[in-house]
Amino acid sequence: MSELSKSIESAEKAKPKWPWAAGAAALVLIAGVAWFGATRAAGEDDAGAQSSEPVSGGTLEFALIDYQRSPDPQWGTNYAESTIGNNITDKLTWQDPDTGEITPWLAESWEYNDDLTEFTFHLRDDVTFSDGTPFDSEVVKANFDQYVHGDEALGINPNGAQLLSGYIETLTPDPYTAVVRFEHPLASFLQASSFTANAQPGFLSLSTLALSAEERTDPTKIIGTGPFVYESWEEQVKTVLVKREGYDWSPPALGHDGEAYLDRIVFNTIPEASVRTGSLVSGELDATLDVGTTDEQPLKDQGFEIISRGVSGTSIFFNLNSSLFPTNDIAVRKAIQLGWNREAIEDTVLTDSYSIADSVLAPSVQGHADYSDSVLRYDPDEANRLLDEAGWTVGDDGIRVKDGKRLEVKLLGINNLVVNKPAYESIQQDLKAIGIDLQLTVVPIPDYTAAFATAATDWNVVAANRSRNDPAVLNLLYGPTLGNASYVTADSTGVDAAEVTEVLGKLETTLDPALRDEYAKAAQDLLLEKYALVSPVYNPSQVIAHADYVHGIVFDAQSRNHFVDAWKGNGK
Amino acid sequence: MLRYAALKTGRALFVVWAAFTLTFVLLFVLPANPEDLLFDPTELNTIPEEVREQVAANYGFDEPVVVQYFQRLGHALAGDFGNSVQSGKPVTEAVLGVLPSTLILSAGALALAALIAYAIALTATSTRRPWLRNLVESLPSAAVSVPVFLSGILLLQVFAFRLGWFPAFGSDGPASLVLPLVTLAIPVSGPIAQLLVRRFTAELESGYVTTSRAKGATRDQIVKGDVFRNASLPALTITGVTFGNLIAGSVITETVFAREGIGRLTQTAINTLDVPLVQGIVVLVAASFALINLAVDLVYPLLDPRLRATLAAATA
Repeated sequence: MSELSKSIESAEKAKPKWPWAAGAAALVLIAGVAWFGATRAAGEDDAGAQSSEPVSGGTLEFALIDYQRSPDPQWGTNYAESTIGNNITDKLTWQDPDTGEITPWLAESWEYNDDLTEFTFHLRDDVTFSDGTPFDSEVVKANFDQYVHGDEALGINPNGAQLLSGYIETLTPDPYTAVVRFEHPLASFLQASSFTANAQPGFLSLSTLALSAEERTDPTKIIGTGPFVYESWEEQVKTVLVKREGYDWSPPALGHDGEAYLDRIVFNTIPEASVRTGSLVSGELDATLDVGTTDEQPLKDQGFEIISRGVSGTSIFFNLNSSLFPTNDIAVRKAIQLGWNREAIEDTVLTDSYSIADSVLAPSVQGHADYSDSVLRYDPDEANRLLDEAGWTVGDDGIRVKDGKRLEVKLLGINNLVVNKPAYESIQQDLKAIGIDLQLTVVPIPDYTAAFATAATDWNVVAANRSRNDPAVLNLLYGPTLGNASYVTADSTGVDAAEVTEVLGKLETTLDPALRDEYAKAAQDLLLEKYALVSPVYNPSQVIAHADYVHGIVFDAQSRNHFVDAWKGNGK
Repeated sequence: MLRYAALKTGRALFVVWAAFTLTFVLLFVLPANPEDLLFDPTELNTIPEEVREQVAANYGFDEPVVVQYFQRLGHALAGDFGNSVQSGKPVTEAVLGVLPSTLILSAGALALAALIAYAIALTATSTRRPWLRNLVESLPSAAVSVPVFLSGILLLQVFAFRLGWFPAFGSDGPASLVLPLVTLAIPVSGPIAQLLVRRFTAELESGYVTTSRAKGATRDQIVKGDVFRNASLPALTITGVTFGNLIAGSVITETVFAREGIGRLTQTAINTLDVPLVQGIVVLVAASFALINLAVDLVYPLLDPRLRATLAAATA
């Protein structure tokens, strides 16, 4: 800044004249707008032609909070990326969102060896990419190789290294047979072959795989086999998809034949909640994701439809650090499970689209068991008894003390879901009543990521969730040699690390449904009842509000959306 | 004069370098690892170490910080800021891609703000009705007091959701520009109007106005012919300073109206610790800031004979 401007800025200051006039002007403005708001027309008059038969054509204006960082669908960490990826690429298999069963898609059938280290997929022979090249076993191999290993020369990250851990290779005995081999048993690979959430294994053409990360920012070069193809991508603003001509291989389980009904879909990124709902009401949007809990009822009242699906995988959980004082005391962990009122959260924080967690696995995951009558109930008397027994005495400020140390429990959480903070605050209040001082640090993702680096030594509780519709997610998360989310070590008092490793590890060793249910039950028993390593809180949900002329938006097993079967009653 | 120009240019260059260095330091002082932000936050505990290392190496985050600094500085001097970590786009392309959108918004808002400010100042000065003058003079404080966020939402409620005159979001076509422009212009017009009103009042009381009046000039003639030009000089300076307000306001405006632009790009780049992108933006903003101030400093002596005289005396 120049000296001149400084001297001018610090020049004489006029006395504010008639300051109340400024206030009055602002008041008039606010009152005027409030009047506008109050007299706002409710609902819409032209709801469009209603019909029960699907109508082809039209553009769906869709809104969500996230945006696609890059058009490359195999690389993603948010909902926009995974949802758009699901509509331009297809997977080997389709997981039924209701039953969790793995059903055919690009693979017509499959078998695996007894060790679950080799999976053979028999591919459809009529599938092509939107540039006309065929989809075959070579494509599967090239995709999986790059997905797992990345490509340093092209700047591509090993996006699938986690999902396909222990991947050795893909064999291609003939053009339509692909054999995927692993170092160790990986039962969850079958579900992984249908995976639709972040960093998904959607198939890209060989020409796309040869592109560098920089070249993949040109959406027209991203070629998939999906029901839609890219028209354009404006970072942070919108992604436009158009119908793929000649598409005829949507998952048989969806019961949809041929091309998508819609001509185009516009995914608008709208960060502001009030702008998303306002635009839906004014008709500028046909549907919007990321509907806030407080917006659900008003939108329903105005004639909009609310559809939702719980996020499959785990609930939002409190992972309890079993090697850090004071949560290394199993009595404290059990008291945290019992010490908070679930009904209070259900009544004051959640809507019908959400539910209180009755296990660490979401209800839609195979092998889920209900613990709401067992350890996941509100029982402050029992919690108090456990703490008394363990030698925690109530101090002057109502917080318990043992050996001169206060019962302070530090929680790290993410504020990306609106429900998180109020839910945690409700738990904080209840725990205070039984003498536990739960200290909340609920922050945006970058701060969470930074703080998480010292989770083992600094945080008693990490609150998060995991989107993966397979019970083996428990092994991935809590296995002491894998995610070890509860920091089970030799120091964890009263926890047998070897037992945890063994019980959770079994989940990867079978695909027999009955046996898997049994192993999943054993894993939940161990995590929840025996060692109290986690206190599940609530089941998050993806909520869409749409106009009544919109039909057929599908929530898949990971609660991502597919639009192949979606249509607009007015066909516009 | 030449020494004055060299001094000011040198200072501008220093500001740009300092901004580059400071952001680099800040980004590395932050506790998070930039490569961690490339993963789903809920998957952090299950990422194998070798995967993390491979990703870090992919972006050069595995090099010692000092090496990274000089590498980036070297490339930046050659105009190459590397590729955005998050999207893979070249930084220059990412920044230049959204720059026009922000420039149009800011320039338009600034022009509109200046227009509003002059309208306020001229009305307040020319009117003979005290109530009108007082009302108009109170407008600038009101304009500054309303947060951009609130005025944006209010304008949307009325003109987009209720009346449907303008689109509520996006950057398609001139119609989508109207509401953001007004939203951004309101707070920016405040300080300019305040200064103008003050200057107009002060100038009206100065000696040359009395002379003009004595010679028979009408009030209108005085305001248009003499006062307007003299009172405008300080407004030029504050316009340079206002650039900062514009950039800050554009972050919120672009977010509320879901427009593409530098403001939003910066916000996400910082949130995701996208080091190359943040540095590219910071250097661009610092350079524009320095350039505008430089231009104002250099133009000033041309407009103000008194300053020209001081400079001439200093160099003599």
